[in-house]
Amino acid sequence: MLSMFKSIPTHMDYKGQKLAEQIFQGIILVSAVIGFIYGLIIEQFGWTVYIMLAGFTVSCLLTLPPWPMYRQNPLTWQPALPEAPVESREKPQENLKKKKHK
Amino acid sequence: MNTVLSRANSLFAFSLSVMAALTFGCFITTAFKNRSVPVQIQVSKVLLKNVDDFTGPRERSDLGFVTFFNLVKSYLCVCLNVLLHLQPIFDWNVKELFLYLSAEYSTRSNVLNQVVLWDKIVLRGENTKLNLRDMKSKYFFFDDGNGLKANKNITLTLSWNVVPNAGILPLVMGSGHVSLPFPESYETTKSY
Repeated sequence: MLSMFKSIPTHMDYKGQKLAEQIFQGIILVSAVIGFIYGLIIEQFGWTVYIMLAGFTVSCLLTLPPWPMYRQNPLTWQPALPEAPVESREKPQENLKKKKHK
Repeated sequence: MNTVLSRANSLFAFSLSVMAALTFGCFITTAFKNRSVPVQIQVSKVLLKNVDDFTGPRERSDLGFVTFFNLVKSYLCVCLNVLLHLQPIFDWNVKELFLYLSAEYSTRSNVLNQVVLWDKIVLRGENTKLNLRDMKSKYFFFDDGNGLKANKNITLTLSWNVVPNAGILPLVMGSGHVSLPFPESYETTKSY
């Protein structure tokens, strides 16, 4: 069961991580300011907490799953080296051994 | 921030820090507020009795039997009306109010005595205009000795404890009190 969760790709590239952090910090700060002012006006601290929780849920939905906007700048890895030189080194040694046995 | 768990961790920690800052802001906006309102108290009847008190410590009973100092005490029954409006005190940082009525007097043996006669809890959202008529005291008004008989001056004041959502708990005294003298002898009712 856990291996199924681990196999889902959740990575983001570096620019995407920075974007995600800015997004959730901005959303939570904005909802905190709105909640504070609203709670001060209607004289109930419970509404401040509710608005903060709403901001938390929105930023969870926006930043936790790896949306495509966070994968716009992937890292360019070097191409993999071909495996041909390793096989060509082994073949002449086998030919030499067969000649000796004869 | 590469995995879901590390993103969730930083998001949650950030929102908790912001919540703590909001709670501090809630405390700061109401910290220096005056929470006293005027109070009217009227006493309708006072009854004074002299009874045996079995709640005192028995270790002193040897001396106590010889003199009647610790064993026999004065006891008082008070009926009163209270009128107050508590709406200005309730703001967004107040969870409930704990009201109590206390009587303050001095006797020959003790300079200052304070006895709580009655208390009430008022939650936020309940009725804040209190007009209580013909209330009896909730707790016994025992005196340590016989100091209530013919006492010239007993002051009844209503105070309250403000229980906030965040911050310190101030103890506020209402700005009205009533002083009254007590009857001269036992088992007689004095009406006002």
